[in-house]
Amino acid sequence: MSTWIAILAILRESWLTLRAEKLFKLVLGLNLLVIVAYASIGFDATGVSIFFGLAHVDSEYIHEGTSLAKTLYLGIYSAFIVNLWLAWAASILALISTSSIFPSFLKEGAVELVMSRPTRRSTIFFVKYFGGLLFVMVQVGIFTLGAFLAAGWRVDVWDPAIFLAIPLITLFYSYLFCINVLVGVITRSTLTALLATLLFWFATFSIHTTDQLLTENLFRFQETAIRAEKRIAELEAERDTANAEQDTKEADNVEHWLQGPQKEAAAAREAVEQLTPWETTMGIIRTTIPETDRTLALLHRQLERNSDVSLFDLMTGRGFDDEDDPPRELNAEEVAQRKVLAQENQIPAWQIIGKSLIFEMIVLGLTLWIFRRRDY
Amino acid sequence: MPAAIEIHDVHKTFRKKVRALQGVSMQVDPGQIFCLLGPNGAGKSTLVKILMTVIHASRISGTMLGMPIGHKPTLRRVGYLPEHHRFPTFMTAEQALHFYGALSDMRRHDRRRRIDAMLELVGMSGWRKHRVGTFSKGMQQRIGLAQALLHDPELLLLDEPTDGVDPVGRREIRDLLIHLRDEGRTILINSHILSELETICDQLAVVVKGRVALEGTVDELTSGRRRWIVSYEGAGPEWDAEQIRQDGRLTQVVLPGAAARDVQPVIDRIRAADCVITEVSEVRESLEDLFMRALELAGEDDAATPGAAKGSDA
Repeated sequence: MSTWIAILAILRESWLTLRAEKLFKLVLGLNLLVIVAYASIGFDATGVSIFFGLAHVDSEYIHEGTSLAKTLYLGIYSAFIVNLWLAWAASILALISTSSIFPSFLKEGAVELVMSRPTRRSTIFFVKYFGGLLFVMVQVGIFTLGAFLAAGWRVDVWDPAIFLAIPLITLFYSYLFCINVLVGVITRSTLTALLATLLFWFATFSIHTTDQLLTENLFRFQETAIRAEKRIAELEAERDTANAEQDTKEADNVEHWLQGPQKEAAAAREAVEQLTPWETTMGIIRTTIPETDRTLALLHRQLERNSDVSLFDLMTGRGFDDEDDPPRELNAEEVAQRKVLAQENQIPAWQIIGKSLIFEMIVLGLTLWIFRRRDY
Repeated sequence: MPAAIEIHDVHKTFRKKVRALQGVSMQVDPGQIFCLLGPNGAGKSTLVKILMTVIHASRISGTMLGMPIGHKPTLRRVGYLPEHHRFPTFMTAEQALHFYGALSDMRRHDRRRRIDAMLELVGMSGWRKHRVGTFSKGMQQRIGLAQALLHDPELLLLDEPTDGVDPVGRREIRDLLIHLRDEGRTILINSHILSELETICDQLAVVVKGRVALEGTVDELTSGRRRWIVSYEGAGPEWDAEQIRQDGRLTQVVLPGAAARDVQPVIDRIRAADCVITEVSEVRESLEDLFMRALELAGEDDAATPGAAKGSDA
């Protein structure tokens, strides 16, 4: 019981600290603006209206009541608003706000007042840490409530999976915040902690992007090789037929045409050979860092589970039910993107979150060790 | 009755270089005001922080309120005012006291009751809804005292409690400390302002370069230096040369270690010589004198020199 009194007191203090931050109110205001902008997108019988009808885009396929409208609306939320606004802009603002939590707490004169209490240092540490995550939880909580109501109002989708953004964004943020706290505890400097976190974020982003690009290119070259080999087989069959018919001119022509796909296949196979070790190495490096991108992608995965059409299909002009105008064949790049997407969707959520949490626990364990042993 | 604080052979070395404490041992009896004196950097604040678990000692043995040093639950019975303390500036006085009270495991209704009483005690009742960030240094010091007293501690550790407080406030704090002592609480004070401690101090220790140079009750430490001085005008009787000193027109007879009874014959001799006695006073060694004596004993001739030693024996 006594520990709970102290825990609640530290949480309340964290809440008062956050509330006192001007940035907290600024981010809250910006969040509300983004949600209003999201809610301003609507669908009528003829297409899509934006800014509560100020602008209108006519569409034969995307209009009121279609599953494409639902996919588009939820896709805007999960792929753009969450991935761009919440995961980038709002997270940077949150980091600026929360970077001072530990350095301020550890300032001379302030830390003695707390450390000299009966509460254990480990309890103080974890409650303070959780207090930092409160910033994100509260902001995303209010944001997702707005998004939930907007989706219900605009496309009649009352999907509680929208609220998954709260734990997922908080998890994503916690991967960064643990680094922030580690550096903050070591240096007691807000600026150093913030810069180190941004650097870490940039590093993870670069590794993830490089890994994804390598995988995508590997798939693209594999697909190119397959297509080229298929074309070679077709041309060889044509050449054999021409030879059988003793049409030497046609056989020579086909032989000439064969050179293109053969060169293309050889180049693609060579590229695959060159890329494979890099892709493997990057994959190994990736296993050592938290899965920021994949954690966020889990939300999109959940929101798409009930849709007839995926956002990928929508973006590549597929999923439109039109017999007169069948969808075009995907090019090698699009096939590669689709394969990457499918591969990503195969990774179980527990593996993504579990691996990242192990990283976070290691960092927090190290930070706690320093925090407990330190003289203040 | 067991000692409120009893510590032996306390050592603290920072980063394997700075030896802040080098075998401090001392005892604080219950119901006493114990003053910890020493030059800057002598290790006084380090010692208090070790008692409050803010700093880990390199080596220590002893007890506080009957429990081993570092026993966290015992801190519920201890109030602490750190030097240069800083409260969250966005909190009101009341919110700050609620926060620190809760950290000492006080329940809400107890906190409410005690906050009213403590704000009244430190003269800050009218400021409870004001933000701490708007307070003067003296007002923050009063709130600091209120938080240290909030959970009704048996033992108080105060590091520079009158820092930044005006003369009226200092007098009030002094009276408050005497009142708390009279209630049976034990108080350990770290302060540089020796004149303030003079009138309230029961026991003291002078720490120099991380070691206790002098320790004991004020009476014990100053009794050897107590003397009577009889001042008079006019040509008086003959005295031994070491017994008298001249102060302008006045002659002073100094009687080291004498009791009041021993002074009477001296007065009689002066009166018999028809001289005018202007003053008869008992002079004790001041804390400042005692402090300087401790520095001399420790071989520290400059009180401003930081006391912590670097490297090997300093």
